Amino acid sequence: MIRLENIHVTFNPGSALEKKAIRGIKLGLKEGEFVTVIGANGAGKSTLLNTLCGDVVPTKGKVVIDGKNVTPLQAYQRVDLVARVFQDPRAGTCPNLTIAENMALAYARGKRRGFKLAIEDSHRYIFKEHLARLNLGLENRLDDAIGGLSGGQRQAVSLIMAVLQPMKILALDEHTAALDPKTAAFILDLTQQIVEEQGLTTLMVTHSMQQALGMGTRTIMLYEGKVIFDVSGEERKKLKVKDLLDLFHKAAGQELDDDKLLLE
Amino acid sequence: MNLYQFFGALELGFLYGLVAMGVWLSFRILDFPDLTVDGSFPMGAAICAIFIVSGVDPWIATAAAIIGGMIAGLTTAWISVRFNILHLLASILTMTALYSINLRIMGRPNIGLLGEDTIFTPLENLGIPSGTVTITVMFLLVLLVLYGVHRFLSSEMGLAMRATGANDKMAAAQGVSKKKLTIMGLSISNGLVALAGALFAQSQGFADVTMGVGTIIIGLAAVIVGEAILNPRIIVTALFACILGSILYRLTITLALNATFLGLQASDLNLITALLVGIAMMTPRLRSKLVDFKARRGAA
Repeated sequence: MIRLENIHVTFNPGSALEKKAIRGIKLGLKEGEFVTVIGANGAGKSTLLNTLCGDVVPTKGKVVIDGKNVTPLQAYQRVDLVARVFQDPRAGTCPNLTIAENMALAYARGKRRGFKLAIEDSHRYIFKEHLARLNLGLENRLDDAIGGLSGGQRQAVSLIMAVLQPMKILALDEHTAALDPKTAAFILDLTQQIVEEQGLTTLMVTHSMQQALGMGTRTIMLYEGKVIFDVSGEERKKLKVKDLLDLFHKAAGQELDDDKLLLE
Repeated sequence: MNLYQFFGALELGFLYGLVAMGVWLSFRILDFPDLTVDGSFPMGAAICAIFIVSGVDPWIATAAAIIGGMIAGLTTAWISVRFNILHLLASILTMTALYSINLRIMGRPNIGLLGEDTIFTPLENLGIPSGTVTITVMFLLVLLVLYGVHRFLSSEMGLAMRATGANDKMAAAQGVSKKKLTIMGLSISNGLVALAGALFAQSQGFADVTMGVGTIIIGLAAVIVGEAILNPRIIVTALFACILGSILYRLTITLALNATFLGLQASDLNLITALLVGIAMMTPRLRSKLVDFKARRGAA
């Protein structure tokens, strides 16, 4: 159970550059729920995710995961609760380290790191098994530098890395936005499989209305730092992209000049 | 260059190989250009020398020097990560302070160690020539340190350190604390440099407060020359490159200073070093420009 309690985030408060990125978001995620988050540029999607992950400290409000108030914790201190995949495939992996080394880093996530060897033979076996499901042949390239992989391959490994250790919520930050359509479809497919297999509670930020409705069990829409729309269950199944767009216009109370912002 | 000079260069090559590994740790692994070494090298020598002349066992004196260096590295890292001060600036602060601290440690600008017991003395007492003893002990110590650093970087903690230097956002997402590992890395790095300082004092027979000037650039020279030759892709090769680079650097310097037609003298050392590092750093850039130029001309 994840609760975002009345979150407010203001960047550069009191200065000319003041920006209220999030203005009072209340959100509860049940265990196993897969929530997609949609909204225009600047609606606060990424800020919301970064607040959950600990990169952004809310000006007001609390982030509670499994009854534990994690608001004061730094990003690296809550990785046993929140696992994430970044938008940029380069951000989620270390280019000069090998595939095995990158996975070893993720494998030790949330555990105490000591002076034991980071990669034992038993680890290599586990890594190979996980990589084999991708059908990319990466299981035979454990000792290749990950920087030599394509963006899609790196993103696939990032996703595997994120779920190597248990967590309470998986945070996906437009993790297919930087990929070509075919690769994006592959990653989305993989995401769907993994989330279903492990019954993960997931928060996925996306730019695409198609994805927002096609994936997951619940969709929320942000507008100017607020949740303007929250739909799940039967009602959501009947929704089409067009309906979502209409709803957006109605809820926001104004026409967007450029629908492309939302449809891309 | 005669044989005597050659072995002298080799000995100093091993010694500064330790400095090179320390500089490589901060510069390449942590991406933290750390000038503290200009202060931690003489600090190692100072601590070791004052302990030895006070009658302390030379191994304990050497260990104390390492600890002193580690504290210096820790200070720089702490100033930098705790108060978010630019790494270069933080290290200059520590380096500056260390000059005074080293004077305080020694109580005078220099200490001679001639006739004192050093870690080399027991072997020399067996009748082995002192040149052979120093070079062998240094060689073994360098290998030991190389193994130790490699083992550390292969550990869970060491891997985390490599990640935090290369991509701190990713490292944080895997639960790695950049602060903690920067502090740890710089401590190890400066501990190695102080060890080199302690060995320098014992093999050369003195500690001097100004002996640290240019340590960072000598370390960098070794790292860059070694990398240019071995082009390392894995940690072991990178560490060997540090030592090889250090030896080659020493040999080059000895050659340059001995080439009478150049008319150089010992005080030109730092100028030659700076030129060498400058050329080594510019070479890759010039090479790629040349390739680019040829390609453009070919396309025209």
